[in-house]
Order: sequence, then C-alpha cells, then structure tokens
Amino acid sequence: MALLNEEIRGQVREMLAELPDAVRLVVFKKPEDCSYCETIEELVTEIAETSENVSVEVYDFTQDQDKVAEFKIDKAPVIAIVGARDYGLRFFGVPANYEFTTLLHGIQAAGTGKSIQLDGATKDYLAALDKPVHYQVFVTPTCPYCPGAAVMAFDMAVESDLVRADVVEASEFPELSSRYNVMGVPLNIINETQRVEGRAPATMIVEAIESSL
Amino acid sequence: MFEFKIGEELAKPGATGGLYDLVVIGAGPAGMTAAIYAARNSIKTLVLEKSSLGGLAATTELIENYPGFPEGIAGAELMDRFQKQARRFGAEIIEFDEVLQIEPVKQGLLRARTDSGEVYEARAVLIATGSRPKKLHLPGEDEFYGRGLSYCATCDGPLFKNKDVVVIGTGSSGLQEGLNLLGYAKHVTFVEFLPYSPAEKILQKRTMSHEKSTFYFNQQVTEIKGERVVTAVVMKDRATGEVQELPTEGVFVYVGYAPDTKFVEGQVEMNKWGYVKTDGKMHTNMEGIFAAGDVRADNVAQVTVAVSDGTKAALAVREYLAVL
Ligand SMILES: Cc1cc2nc3c(=O)[nH]c(=O)nc-3n(C[C@H](O)[C@H](O)[C@H](O)COP(=O)(O)OP(=O)(O)OC[C@H]3O[C@@H](n4cnc5c(N)ncnc54)[C@H](O)[C@@H]3O)c2cc1C
Repeated sequence: MALLNEEIRGQVREMLAELPDAVRLVVFKKPEDCSYCETIEELVTEIAETSENVSVEVYDFTQDQDKVAEFKIDKAPVIAIVGARDYGLRFFGVPANYEFTTLLHGIQAAGTGKSIQLDGATKDYLAALDKPVHYQVFVTPTCPYCPGAAVMAFDMAVESDLVRADVVEASEFPELSSRYNVMGVPLNIINETQRVEGRAPATMIVEAIESSL
Repeated sequence: MFEFKIGEELAKPGATGGLYDLVVIGAGPAGMTAAIYAARNSIKTLVLEKSSLGGLAATTELIENYPGFPEGIAGAELMDRFQKQARRFGAEIIEFDEVLQIEPVKQGLLRARTDSGEVYEARAVLIATGSRPKKLHLPGEDEFYGRGLSYCATCDGPLFKNKDVVVIGTGSSGLQEGLNLLGYAKHVTFVEFLPYSPAEKILQKRTMSHEKSTFYFNQQVTEIKGERVVTAVVMKDRATGEVQELPTEGVFVYVGYAPDTKFVEGQVEMNKWGYVKTDGKMHTNMEGIFAAGDVRADNVAQVTVAVSDGTKAALAVREYLAVL
C-alpha cells in the first residue's frame, strides 16, 4: 500500500512543481538492524513520482564506500538532499508524521538554493562565515515544534557552504542521542559543544555558532 | 503505522496582507473554529500562531470525548482537519510568528505586532491563546528541563523507551499522557498531591489497572534531582511527613495550565490568574477585541468548549463588523 494518500501526493506535487534545480534524494540503507530502511526508500520513491525535478538514488552504507565518502555519511539510514550542489542537508531516520514537513522543506530549499524564512541579517552573517559549522537538530516525529527547528538548520545550510545540517530522528539513533543527552526535543547542537533547547529564533542559533567558533 | 503530515507554513508561505476583518491570535481549536465560521461568512481572516498549528489539543495523543469520532482521534489529526476546514473557506494561517502586542489605533482599526517584525492590521482581533503547562517551581526543574524533565509526553515520550519514568499530576491530562507513556516506558510511577486522582474515571481505571504503573497519593514533590540529567524525584508524604526518593530517568509534569496573556496585560481585563474576562458573546472590555477558549476566565478546558467559544466569537465579530 502506498505510504502517501492521494491528497498528500497532490499537495507534494504542487509544492515541488517549480523547482529551478533538480534535486537528488540520496538514500543510504543498512543491510542489518534497519527496520525502516524499506519505508524510507518507498517514501522518497513516492515523492519522486510526483515531480520531474526529483530523483532517487539508493546506496548501501556498508558496501558503497565511495558514495559514503562522497556524501560524508557517518551513520544510516539517511537521506541526503542534494540540489545544484550538495548544501549539506541530511535527514537521519524516517521523516514521518510532522517530520515529513521537514523533508519537503529540505527539498524545496535544495531545489531553489534559497532559504525560506531567514532574514537579511542572518543571511549576511552566514555569508561571512569562515569556519565550518556542524548543526545537528534532534527531533521526534510526534513533536509539533520540531519541524520549525529542523527547517532553520536546513535554511542555514543552503545559505552557507560551511554549514552542514543533520536532522536526526532521536528515537532511531539511541547511541547518538545518549551521547548528547537528548531527553527533550527539539534539541540543537552546534559544533558538538553548544546546546540550544527547543525551537529557537535565528538570533539564538547565530549566538551559539559564534560561541562555538 | 506511519503518518505523513505537511505543515502549512511551507505549503503557503506568507499572508496576502492588507487590512483584515479579523486577526485571530492562536491556532488552537478555539481560534481555528472562529476562523472557519468567520471565513465562511466572507470575513477576511488571518490566524497567527506562535508555534505550530493545533494548540494544546495537537499535543495530546488521543482525544476520546470529541463528538463524531467514536473510536477517538489523535489530537494532531483532529487539529489538522480543523485547519483544512478553515483554509477551505479562505482563512489564512501563519505559523511560527508570535503576537507580541495588540495596538488599538482608532475605532475599527487594530494592529498586531509579531516577533518576526510584521505588523498586521485588522478591524477586530480575537484572543484565542489558550494556556500553557504550569511549572512546579521546584529546585531542579529549570536545570533539568530537556534533560529528563518534560511537559510534553507526546513529543518526548519516544525518547524514554524501556526506561522508568515518573508522571507528576494525575488529572486527566496527566493520566491521558501517562497512558501514552505506558506504551513506551518500562514503568510509569504517578505522583499526586491530592489524596485521590481528579481525573475522569475511565482514565483512572485504565492507568491504575495497568501492569506497568504505580501510584502515590497525598505526596508533595519537593525536588527534582540529577547529575547533568534527571536521576530522581523527591517527595514527602503529606500525612506522615516521610520523605522518599524515586529513582527515574524521566519526569513528565502535568500539574495544570496557566494562560498566555502577558502580551495584553494592562489592556484587556483579566482575573487574578491572568484569564481574560468576557461576556457571554465573547466580548472583552475593549472594543473590537474578543476572547475565546481556554484563555477565557471561568472556562472548562475542553476542545468542545473551545469550539463553542470560537463559534460565538465569530458570530459576535460578524455583528460588530456589520455596525462598524
Ligand atoms: C495532555 C492534554 C490532554 C487533553 N485531552 C483532552 C481531551 O481528551 N478532550 C478535550 O476536549 N480536551 C483535552 N485537552 C484540553 C484541550 O486541549 C484544550 O482545552 C484546548 O486545546 C483549548 O483550545 P484553545 O484553542 O482555547 O487553546 P490552545 O489549544 O491552548 O491553543 C492556543 C494557541 O495559541 C497560541 N498562542 C499563544 N500565545 C500566542 C501569541 N502571543 N501569538 C500567537 N499565538 C499564540 C499557542 O501556541 C496555541 O497554539 C487536553 C489537553 C492536554 C494538555
């Protein structure tokens, strides 16, 4: 049975109809211990069916070493959302429920190369960055506040080639989540050290980036 | 087993702007019902929501007492339907933009200033800002928020699979969300200040008969303990004075709700807890400003009531606009 019903498909089709750049959804699966890998592949395939601009590639995290290196993948399952170039947008786990919004936003951002909700000052700040930023957002699919946080990360990543945005479904990556003590979502971790809890405005994220550099 | 939702802030970015007949603050059940009625009556309506759509109702796993859904319905799903219905009649809804101020300009013109710096103009404003979870105001509470302490089991519950958790408060919200936690957690301990649970009987029966639950009544929680993350809840028996420490990895707080009305303090009339006073038609003391739902004084916090308030408010707004 299809994952996306007709109504959702229709909405997705509309949202992805006019992307200036082609978007590749590059999925890395794991052969073992991955209950949802098939779901992820099915989901991105259904999305790609709605738009000529979106294509799917599927690789094996344990086998396809060259691709793992090319996309700098350190864990799976993951969807790399790649536009005219690789802006560094990654979604780890199944983008279900509210997180489906995050994935679609990521596709729009990658397909236009433009952020949707950042203001001028934030964009200027990002354009002037000279050091790499690893921006992780931990989410759960049932959290209504999480897409707002995740979308911010994707927006910042398209605005700067130095920002990498990893959105992580926390319950699917328990080890990583316990390393960062993720016990509430959304949680933003900037450059492994700065912790911003909840959905924060761009100015707070910028401050965290500043403190981490 | 999986659901996929599209948040509307992405589907339709931005508002069309111009002068609105009605700006609704808060996209919970009260605000969205008002938007359905208003928009269907050709009242140009904009809903502004500081967070994501659905209000408190969207953060509850299951709503079983909203008529028309005999099997119950997920709070988020119900709110998604409200939202679609409001948009179908042309209401505009913007998420993730908080209203910081309502400024009366002149008769028939109000301005709503938001966090993103936007200013929206309207002929009438409806305050439907609901309430938010109350805090315990205890040592450890702020320190461990997000580190084991949570006010939203629907959001954070999945992070506590096979762990021991404590729910503080056994009102209907606490037990409803406790039931949801019982689905993930190894064990759920409920702690209540009163000698009994004030929750609906059906929720009491389901949680108390559950093999993974334990209940403590007549207990005053005195501290949330931890080291970087939560490790225990300390409570004192109100009858015997005995102090006991419950080791736990997660604490979910359901000790009631308080209104979100700071932004209109000194403007609209409120009771001493900050709930907005209205008449039976939802007028506040200020011309052109209405209130509906949980934010209203002496109201019952239920979706059905919020819906009823939203309906009355939209009709009162229509009457008001007609004579303006
Ligand atoms: C755990 C739990 C379980 C529940 N179970 C049930 C149940 O089974 N049945 C039932 O009938 N009811 C239930 N309720 C109660 C029900 O959810 C509320 O009564 C209902 O949501 C109230 O609706 P409302 O529209 O008045 O306010 P809310 O739902 O609180 O919505 C208010 C909205 O306003 C927004 N807001 C606040 N301030 C601003 C601002 N300045 N600018 C912009 N937006 C703002 C908020 O973010 C929020 O989205 C439950 C509640 C909880 C917490």
